Amino acid sequence: MTEYAGFEGEKNGEVYRSRRRAALRLLVPVAVAAVAVAGVNLVPALASDGSPTLPQLTAEQLIGKALGSDTQQLSGTVQVSADLGIPSELLSLTGHGGAAAAVTGTAGAAGGSGQAKEANGSAASPESRLTALLAGSHTLRVAVDGPDKQRIALVESLAEYDVIHNGDQLWAWDSSSNSALHLSAPQGAEAKHPSSAPLTGLPTTPQEVARQFLAQSAASSTVAVSGTATVAGRSAYELSLKPKQTGSTIGEVRIAVDSATGTPLAVVATGTSGNTILDVHFSDVSLGQPAAKTFTFTPPPGATVTDQRAGQKAAVGGAAKPQNSPKDTPKGQRAPLDKAAPQLIGSDWTTVLSFHLPSDEGSAAVTGTAQGAKGRKLSGLSASSLVKSLGKPVAGGELISTKVLNILVTDDGRVYAGAVTLPVLQTAAGVK
Amino acid sequence: MSQAEVAPPAPTVSAPKAAPVSTTVAAPVMEPVMEPMAASMVAGVRPQTAAGFLALFRNEITLTFRRTRTIALLGLLAALPVLLGVVVKIQTGNLHGGPGGPAFIAQVTQNGLFLVFAAITVALPVFLPMTVGVVAGDSIAGEAATGTLRYLLVAPAGRTRLLAAKFAAAMAFCWAATLAVALSALATGAALFPMGGMTLLSGDTIGLGGALLRAVLIAGVVALSLAGLVAIGLFVSTLTGSGIAAMATTVGLVILVQILDSLPQLQAIQPWLFTDHWLTFADLLREPMYWDGVLHNLGLQALYLAVFGSAAWARLTSRDITA
Repeated sequence: MTEYAGFEGEKNGEVYRSRRRAALRLLVPVAVAAVAVAGVNLVPALASDGSPTLPQLTAEQLIGKALGSDTQQLSGTVQVSADLGIPSELLSLTGHGGAAAAVTGTAGAAGGSGQAKEANGSAASPESRLTALLAGSHTLRVAVDGPDKQRIALVESLAEYDVIHNGDQLWAWDSSSNSALHLSAPQGAEAKHPSSAPLTGLPTTPQEVARQFLAQSAASSTVAVSGTATVAGRSAYELSLKPKQTGSTIGEVRIAVDSATGTPLAVVATGTSGNTILDVHFSDVSLGQPAAKTFTFTPPPGATVTDQRAGQKAAVGGAAKPQNSPKDTPKGQRAPLDKAAPQLIGSDWTTVLSFHLPSDEGSAAVTGTAQGAKGRKLSGLSASSLVKSLGKPVAGGELISTKVLNILVTDDGRVYAGAVTLPVLQTAAGVK
Repeated sequence: MSQAEVAPPAPTVSAPKAAPVSTTVAAPVMEPVMEPMAASMVAGVRPQTAAGFLALFRNEITLTFRRTRTIALLGLLAALPVLLGVVVKIQTGNLHGGPGGPAFIAQVTQNGLFLVFAAITVALPVFLPMTVGVVAGDSIAGEAATGTLRYLLVAPAGRTRLLAAKFAAAMAFCWAATLAVALSALATGAALFPMGGMTLLSGDTIGLGGALLRAVLIAGVVALSLAGLVAIGLFVSTLTGSGIAAMATTVGLVILVQILDSLPQLQAIQPWLFTDHWLTFADLLREPMYWDGVLHNLGLQALYLAVFGSAAWARLTSRDITA
């Protein structure tokens, strides 16, 4: 076969053959594309399709295995994707304190654990950055070595945000602003939430999420072992929890529990309509001891370091503002929170968080902290007008409805929020 | 720019047929290195030797890099970091520590090495693909436009090998272009700013040697991540007989894809766009290095290379070359 030229006159047959060959050759790229796309779709499916054969376990045994898991050391990559359907206006508030505690706490309450943590307004503060996980897809690299050493890195495009907890030291590092936040946390405060992420209250590994769910909700749930799965190359049991109570907007929570160690490897929550609300899973995990230097952090030369004493942080009044906060965060946003100490109504799946809406002057300041153009656009609005713009009137107040969370703002300025249906909120608010 | 010094009356080179080439063709256009093959071609056998391909490749390389246009493009790329460095030097007070602006720029004042990464980050979305689009888009269409393609095909190279050589030469240009940016940035950074251990994205500090090693690694990854674009450029280049049209189409495609990549409504298709993972090179600046995104990017480039490379092959090998 020669591919290069010939000069013979073309007979009709040859023209025909060459056209046919041309057509055949044009099929090659199409075939390559098809094979490639099919391969890309099939390979992960084949890799994770593994319903490995594992010895039968009852749901109780599996819960026991998961809660009794004593995995103290692990490192790996966690993929978090959340589709709570929270309006971005609310989320930007959430990220900057004030009403933050409300939504953050509610998200926690969705699992029945409902711990409302105070927000902390600095550019590199863990709460504000990790709240971003409540929307969209994110990649985290985590390393855990016992209760005293944790590191979480939020992998961003051309940037990274790290929280490093080592004993009584807590560092938060933000590469995009080249700034670090240093907290000397008292040991006692850590002991209160041994299983949660350092000082954030936002669970970031499947392990933490699963423990929170299981510890609080197992009793009020229909629990079943729904099968087996392969997560991050490890064989796992799948535990399915469905609420016994009606009124929750969460339909099912599935937890993949490592068959060997009982470490939860993935948590997937679906809404009542079957849509995935939250998917936290390891894409890569190693149960060995992470290198010790993973947990040491020395602020790089040239970085802006903000020191915060633990005692100051505990003062909720917002007096403990960082002295030289790298980003100029407006002050005073925490003040409304004092009056609006949140409280929890109900239990387990239908927990409702309630608190007073901040007064308009205070909330204007809060709204003003929303970053960028949106913040400027909104800065003139009060919280109540924001509620009006997002909500729709229902009996007893305004309802802000998202895919999971429903938030009822009553006419007298109280807020009821939870992963529950409207009637539950109205009952909690006593308007029905 | 012609590879054929002799111009005999222009014959039409038709789509390949299983016919041996008539001996009259052997005479005209042999580069000296090709001569050993001429004899075997006369015998009707096409040698598929590595030496033959190397000769063709070397030929394409000299052709590419001897062009004034190529040198001008490389000069443009090398000027970019100088401009960046000078601007940062003059405006030190304003840029330092402030949020916004291209990534890594804020750190340049403290460490000139960051200019390498800042320059690559700035050049990657626009300048690098533009120059690569020009070289890849022109590779076949330019030959067709100047009427030299048929002489190339008259030589006993074969269309597939010609395509491979064109691709290899364009990839060589990718390496050269990335190196031009990186080396110029390194020189500028060293001249204008202090050099030393650098801070990684994860907050760890590594020594100058390690940092240089990562810079080299990143330059390699960036050059490789242009492979998909080269394949697209080659394919476009086989579609038309006008070099300008092919260049404009390729560069236009890059811009179009980048626009698509920025629309939030198109999230479903964005992971499949060849520009989507370009900036993952920065994952190598974490400690430990995070390879997932980089490998994903390279896999995607390989996919584009397979699809558009085979499309270019199908087109070139079945097309009638009339010019």
